[in-house]
Amino acid sequence: MDDVLRMTRAQPVHLVVLALIGLVVLVGMYSSDRFATPLNFANVQDQMVALALVALAQTVVILSGGIDLSYAGALGLLTVVFASIAGEDPASFAAAIAVVLSLGVFIGAVNGGIVTFVGIHPLIVTLGTSTILSGLALLITRQPTGSVPLFFEDLVYGRIGMVPYGTIFTLVLYLLAGFLLWKTRLGLRIYAIGDNEQAASISGVPVKSTKLIVYALSGFLAAVTAIYICGRFGVGDPRAGVGFDLKSITPVIVGGTLLAGGRGGVLGTLLAVIVLALLANVLNFMNVSSFYQWIAEGLIIIAAVSIFVGRKSK
Amino acid sequence: MSEPVLAARALSKSFGPNEVLKGIEFDVHAGASVALCGENGAGKSTLIKLLTGLYQPTSGHVEFNGKREAWSSPRASLDAGIAVVHQEFSTIGALSVAENIFLDAEPRTRFGLIDRKALVARTEALLEKLGIHLSARSLVDDLSVADKQMVEIAKALRSDARVLILDEPTAVLSQNETRHLFKIISELRARGLGIVYVSHRLDEIFEICTDITVIKDGVVTSQGPVTGYTHDTVIAAMVGRELGNLFPEKAHGAATGTPMLEVRDLVVADGVPPVSFKVKAGEILGLAGLVGSGRTELALAIYGAEAARGTVLIEGEPLDYRSPSSSIDAGILMLTESRKDDGLFLNSSVARNFAATTPGHGVHPARVAIGHEEARARVMKERFGVVVDNVGLPISALSGGNQQKVLIARLLENRPKVLILDEPTRGVDVGAKSEIYKMLRHLADEGMAILAISSELIEIVGLCDRVFVMRDGELAAELMSQEISEEAIMSVAAAETPSHHGVASNG
Repeated sequence: MDDVLRMTRAQPVHLVVLALIGLVVLVGMYSSDRFATPLNFANVQDQMVALALVALAQTVVILSGGIDLSYAGALGLLTVVFASIAGEDPASFAAAIAVVLSLGVFIGAVNGGIVTFVGIHPLIVTLGTSTILSGLALLITRQPTGSVPLFFEDLVYGRIGMVPYGTIFTLVLYLLAGFLLWKTRLGLRIYAIGDNEQAASISGVPVKSTKLIVYALSGFLAAVTAIYICGRFGVGDPRAGVGFDLKSITPVIVGGTLLAGGRGGVLGTLLAVIVLALLANVLNFMNVSSFYQWIAEGLIIIAAVSIFVGRKSK
Repeated sequence: MSEPVLAARALSKSFGPNEVLKGIEFDVHAGASVALCGENGAGKSTLIKLLTGLYQPTSGHVEFNGKREAWSSPRASLDAGIAVVHQEFSTIGALSVAENIFLDAEPRTRFGLIDRKALVARTEALLEKLGIHLSARSLVDDLSVADKQMVEIAKALRSDARVLILDEPTAVLSQNETRHLFKIISELRARGLGIVYVSHRLDEIFEICTDITVIKDGVVTSQGPVTGYTHDTVIAAMVGRELGNLFPEKAHGAATGTPMLEVRDLVVADGVPPVSFKVKAGEILGLAGLVGSGRTELALAIYGAEAARGTVLIEGEPLDYRSPSSSIDAGILMLTESRKDDGLFLNSSVARNFAATTPGHGVHPARVAIGHEEARARVMKERFGVVVDNVGLPISALSGGNQQKVLIARLLENRPKVLILDEPTRGVDVGAKSEIYKMLRHLADEGMAILAISSELIEIVGLCDRVFVMRDGELAAELMSQEISEEAIMSVAAAETPSHHGVASNG
């Protein structure tokens, strides 16, 4: 039982998030009879995949005691590059995937390299790279550009019943990440350096290479997200990433992962992504202005963290 | 005699012009346990860091199994078989006991994945062998400090070590746990491990060590089998030195002034007897004791920064509401232990740092009058001899000694009646120390009551008119003028008590 709890990194705050999900669903069912339909549930999932993917990347980075704000610029550049290379034929599509995934890893490795070897705070480093990447994307194109093969769009829009392929793909990645954090040495190293970098170092954990891998992984997942976004919109948009820097942090925190690192896990992030997506969906049905959605989201962030802090100080 | 497992040969280490260790010769034989004794700052930690490869020696070398070694990192020495239990905990709260003990050496399956079953099984076997009763799966966060120390010890012994270095391992252990640790150490010695044991508690050293090496000011002053020593000879080797004229002349005879500060039945923590004492005008009272003996806690309680029950009186008037700001209003000011953490605004100018506690001075309390900072800073430079070309420079540009002078001068801006100083000369060079001592004596002569905490015995002995030695949170002894000596303080401070282990000695 201990192991199951620790493996899933389940926390009391997850019950609160689950209760919120229930509450939002009830409100949704009450406010519109179109809410509890397979079509709507599939829509919610489609809207949630991109955020779920970047939030997964952010979770791993935050667990290691870092933060990655480069998604805003990185997603823009990566979608533009992908849509420019991917034509209609499978060969250029495969090339685009290879290029974009490598570019993502490269961006992450640069972030991680500056953080570890120059010793600058990741907040500053990734804010800087994000700005650079935005600039690069806009140098390539001002408008959404390029295209993706039809078969890829079909794949992204395809679904089994009311479950889009994107959801299944996302769940698989979350399971893999959970597995990585529980069953591999890298996973334990991530928790160790996030909790107490100096103690980890004394214990023989290779702190620098672990950080480098974490940021490279984050860049890789950003590239995966960018490819998904291209599939959804059919084009590469230099502004595709705008807002994802801070949006990626919200579910991590609401899901109970400590911003300082070392505590938390991917399950909480997934639950938080679900509650945020459902909330936006229900408020849409209720014809509530999106500005109110922001207010609700902000309240949830503060409430979630307050619960977490309250529990810890006991 | 067989050759030592671990040895230092003419080992020296300098940091810039500072020679911290000079020509250390040090042997650890298999099955022996060597006590490493010395005051704070004598160089014990530096020696351990050199032995394990955290530092590289300036000259000389380390020998392991008779071979000359130059460890590139602690990892290299650990792999070779030198295990260290650090004074600062290196446990990771977010991980379980098993994950901590085998951190980065987890058993893995043939696919390279962590073998969770084997991890728990090996941890349980190790804990069983060491007789430590902890669950392998508990989160280290949920453990007591003593249990964390036990995890540290188990971690050090996870692989077959040849040498085990323990740095103040009993500081947080109870009597039973200390007993248990000693049993483990005896078993390890019987298995042929060499032990290096660092402790301030002399009784422990005489109980479990076979040899003693005393370091003072970076040189070995005394070395030999434990049978050739008594408590007194160890202490003499640790502290014997000339005081010189670093210190100003003390007050003549017992202080006769009126009591400025009185503490009545102050209870700082549960289970610690109440503390009562008086400090007279013109007197410098010292609080001595080992790190962790409760000196800082007592001082903070008097200052109102830490919750406590009891009464504090200033010139016979009890203070009813206890907080730092009411203490300042009543005339108690305190210089904290760490000037960088809670004393200075490092990025602000010298002038602003100095004027920070006196923004008003006749104007509106929330308004800083134009020119006020500069005007006050000029006074400070003249009166306290702070060496600075331009008071507009950030204070971080000043030397430690000058920073400390600015802080003391700042305290005096509030015209205190009682000054509490926690480690007033930490990180300060000898010249500035001497000036600070003169300043303090001058203030006492003007009628201030001063309470000084210091880990440097020489400072307590040289500066104070009267000394309380603290141990386990209580005032264990009071020493008057002629009785104050480093030996007298150490014999009380390091004595065993029922709340630690062993039989209470005459302290």
